[in-house]
Amino acid sequence: MKTPGEQVIESWFAMGGWEPFDFQREIWRRYRDGESGLVHSATGTGKTLAAWLGAVIEGIDNPKDGLNVLWITPLRALAADTTESLLRPIRELGLPLDVQLRTGDTTSAQRVKQAKNQPFALVTTPESLCLMLSQKDPEAIFGNLRCVVVDEWHELMSSKRGVQTELALARLRAYVPELRTWGVSATLGNLAAAAETLVGAGGTACIVKGFSGKEIIIDSVLPESMRRFPWAGHFGTQMIPGVIKAIEESESCLVFTNTRAMAEIWFQQILDEKPEWKGVLGLHHGSLDREVREAVEMGLKLGKLRAVVCTSSLDLGVDFSPVDRVIQVGSPKGVARLLQRAGRSGHRPGAASRVTCVPTHAFEMVDIAAARESAMAGKVEAREGVLRPLDVLAQHLVTIAVGPGFDADELYREVKTTRSFRDLTLSDWDWTLDFVVRGGESLRAYPEYRRVVQGEDGRYRVEDKDIAHRHRMSIGTIVSDAAMTVRYQGGSVLGTVEESFLSRLKPGDKFIFAGRPVQFLNIRDMTAYVKKVSSVQGAVPRWSGGRLPLSSELSQAIREELDHARNGELRSPEMEMLAPILELQARWSAVPAHDEFLIEQVESKEGHHLFFYPFEGRLVHEGLAALCAHRISQNQKVTFTIACNDYGFELLSVTPIDIESEIERGLFSSRNLGPDILESLNSVEMAKRQFREIARIAGLVFQGYPGMNKSARQLQVSTGLLFDVFTRFDPDNMLLQQAQREVLERQLEQSRLAIALKRLSESELVLMRPERPTPMSFPILVDRLRETVSNESAADRINRLVDQLEMAAGNLA
Amino acid sequence: MRTQLAGEEVEFRPDGTLLWPSESTLFVADIHLGKGASFRSQGLPVPPGSTLATLEKLSMSLESGVQRLIILGDLWHARQGKTAEAVEQFLSWRSRVSVEILLVEGNHDRKSGQLPVGSDIQTVPDGAAVGPFRLHHEPEPMDEGHVLAGHLHPGYGLDGRGRQSITVPCFWITPDVTVLPSFGTFTGCSRIRPGESDRVIVTTGTECREVPISRLTESSI
Repeated sequence: MKTPGEQVIESWFAMGGWEPFDFQREIWRRYRDGESGLVHSATGTGKTLAAWLGAVIEGIDNPKDGLNVLWITPLRALAADTTESLLRPIRELGLPLDVQLRTGDTTSAQRVKQAKNQPFALVTTPESLCLMLSQKDPEAIFGNLRCVVVDEWHELMSSKRGVQTELALARLRAYVPELRTWGVSATLGNLAAAAETLVGAGGTACIVKGFSGKEIIIDSVLPESMRRFPWAGHFGTQMIPGVIKAIEESESCLVFTNTRAMAEIWFQQILDEKPEWKGVLGLHHGSLDREVREAVEMGLKLGKLRAVVCTSSLDLGVDFSPVDRVIQVGSPKGVARLLQRAGRSGHRPGAASRVTCVPTHAFEMVDIAAARESAMAGKVEAREGVLRPLDVLAQHLVTIAVGPGFDADELYREVKTTRSFRDLTLSDWDWTLDFVVRGGESLRAYPEYRRVVQGEDGRYRVEDKDIAHRHRMSIGTIVSDAAMTVRYQGGSVLGTVEESFLSRLKPGDKFIFAGRPVQFLNIRDMTAYVKKVSSVQGAVPRWSGGRLPLSSELSQAIREELDHARNGELRSPEMEMLAPILELQARWSAVPAHDEFLIEQVESKEGHHLFFYPFEGRLVHEGLAALCAHRISQNQKVTFTIACNDYGFELLSVTPIDIESEIERGLFSSRNLGPDILESLNSVEMAKRQFREIARIAGLVFQGYPGMNKSARQLQVSTGLLFDVFTRFDPDNMLLQQAQREVLERQLEQSRLAIALKRLSESELVLMRPERPTPMSFPILVDRLRETVSNESAADRINRLVDQLEMAAGNLA
Repeated sequence: MRTQLAGEEVEFRPDGTLLWPSESTLFVADIHLGKGASFRSQGLPVPPGSTLATLEKLSMSLESGVQRLIILGDLWHARQGKTAEAVEQFLSWRSRVSVEILLVEGNHDRKSGQLPVGSDIQTVPDGAAVGPFRLHHEPEPMDEGHVLAGHLHPGYGLDGRGRQSITVPCFWITPDVTVLPSFGTFTGCSRIRPGESDRVIVTTGTECREVPISRLTESSI
């Protein structure tokens, strides 16, 4: 027996000549029964309608005043399109339900209107939701809420924004205990945890698997011959003819690269080959100006662009239905990532998603083969939420204090219902509360400090208007890099480039940015002015970050793929292609089996090289390399130069190392792991960098905003400086400890490193002494990220850097 | 590090001060007393201790027989930072040092109100002459004399191999102006872009070193 609402919705499907999928009907039924849940399905298979129409049916069958549905999307740029797609069935059915947008772009006039005349549904971002929670009476907005939908939950949940969302959801549940929460997600390796995170402790969430029939094709553009294909290097532009052919075969195409610099280079080189594509080839990455990006997105939507060279900036977002093929340049680095990108193509009914991988050097062919194996076997990475970030908690406390205020015990219990903070200890809670009230232990005696104050009724509030205003301006957990705007002299903004790149340019230098050759003129008011030039062989800006490590799932698949190849099983065109190189590797050294750990010791003019191949991804290797260097240097006086890639790492020394006895002494032991890593790296510098984000989120620094007055500007301070001040005058501050923890976990993946060590210590050691660097070692040699490991003081380090400069200057003379 | 400046022998010191031995004079810039307190008063939880540490650092800088201290602006950070405690710390410090103090007011001083009673500091106008030197807060060349200034908190960016990068406080010497690094313990530095004829002396905390500027190009680093 269908309800009137269900009949209306079914009739809408019939109007288009379709019928709802079973999983959509299942969700509507579960929604009606008051359930919460998580729906996962391939892109473009009706997840949005599944999550949305349940609430619409209820809105028809059982109308209720006020805001019924809150729709949270991770991308502000996506919000407008989402609003449109939610409105489509409403409009076509002529239903009296309104959907509106609430983001940072919403004007105050619109906000006032929304408050007076609440829409049925509001599409918003986590940051805008928190802003609403910082109003004096959020219950007036959310009191009638029936449902929250969190879109792209897989993207949000593993970040601090995800934690921010969890805390906000807990707050909404305090207002509406029977609130239903639905998450929309891509397929993850740990869906149960994702669902649990969504509803928090005490809630239950079902998991509904969507339509999985969508076909995904993963193929590759391969070099014509291995003979001239490089063993190393990572731009791979010799593959451009093949990529041009692939673009020509398709109607509209997204070309994903792994870094922004690479996107710039590929864009330029494709245009060099195909000048007639000027105007129909687009470039899209996160450092380009928003207007530039929006123009490209619009061109894609309208089918006006042949192809767009892009980075993860287009991983999420609007459906570009004309796109029928995706090209992935370089290693996909992870299975979920490859599937996500594949899903950006083939949105037309009945069409397959097709992703074509392009190796940029020989060994990336293994990555491609392994990623396909895993994708076909459904082995997708898990996403882990961020545990107990006290900076996010501190921000949340001030948000609520700016809003209606809180009772400490009540809010403690509420915060504990989130998965992130479920193990929050009372002492950590007390510290955080004390931190936002009194600034922490060291400020107890300072009456001039005030932020959150406890009223006579025992509730905590922010009373100072300026503090409240500044907090509202700083809500959020996204911390952007120190970047400078790049602008044409007297003209439009092109985007942003990191200050460190610009600081090395001299007026007159040329570089490529936003796909255009430009000449650097000068810097004024934090803006770099450039002018157009005809063409350059110029530098391409490098943006920090961005180099994603191989996921553990893909790492494992790669080890298995090599194992098969070793036994002569070449299961894919990529592995067939790579066979001659693997034969060479086997002849000179060895191809490791999946339960073997290969180490190569080579002598060259440079010195004594040790190559280790754990196949665990770059970050783990950075940690492992530093750890090994540190442990060896405990036993003998030696200085190492370190290099890493996703397959292994290199220790280079002037004197030879007796590696066998080092291993016997416990080189790969997991004993004393944490302290050893901290000692082995310049962990202070790393923590200082990590502190930047923490200080901003916790409200230690104030970023400023356009049009702020001078007295606010006096409060700006660099977080590096704050880090030094805290380290010196308040060393027990828990945010400093958090910075160290985040370095270990996020930058060095300590837990993954521990698992890797365990695996390595159980593996069969294969120690080879080839005469020359092998094909596997070659990429590490070339793609060198050198960092000398020694326990130098800051002064020594400065001296060494000055020495380097002097040497460089001397060489020029 | 000893060198000639405007015909006088001077010493660039690792603590960021400039010593003029023949006159027993020490130049210092950008002390920013009370900066932590002014942050705290605005709800930003900066730990206390930086003002006292700055004053102690200054005492140590004065130990080498200095008789005259010339502050090139920004002794105080802001009006809100002049809390009773900070003022008390400053006056107690002042009573312990017996040097003559001259101050060229900086932009922060002008917004910080009157100097505390008992400061025993002589305020001199912008551009005042001391020997061949002209005293300024903001670095601007003058028709004659070599300008000593602060204000910029100059730092020099050292970018090494392997993504290493660090910005170090520095003296920035142009033909007409020498800019001192900021002295206060709660001050940072911002990168400068020296011209080809400039000299840059970085401070490592324990020593001073001149960085080669003129012969460097981007590609050599």
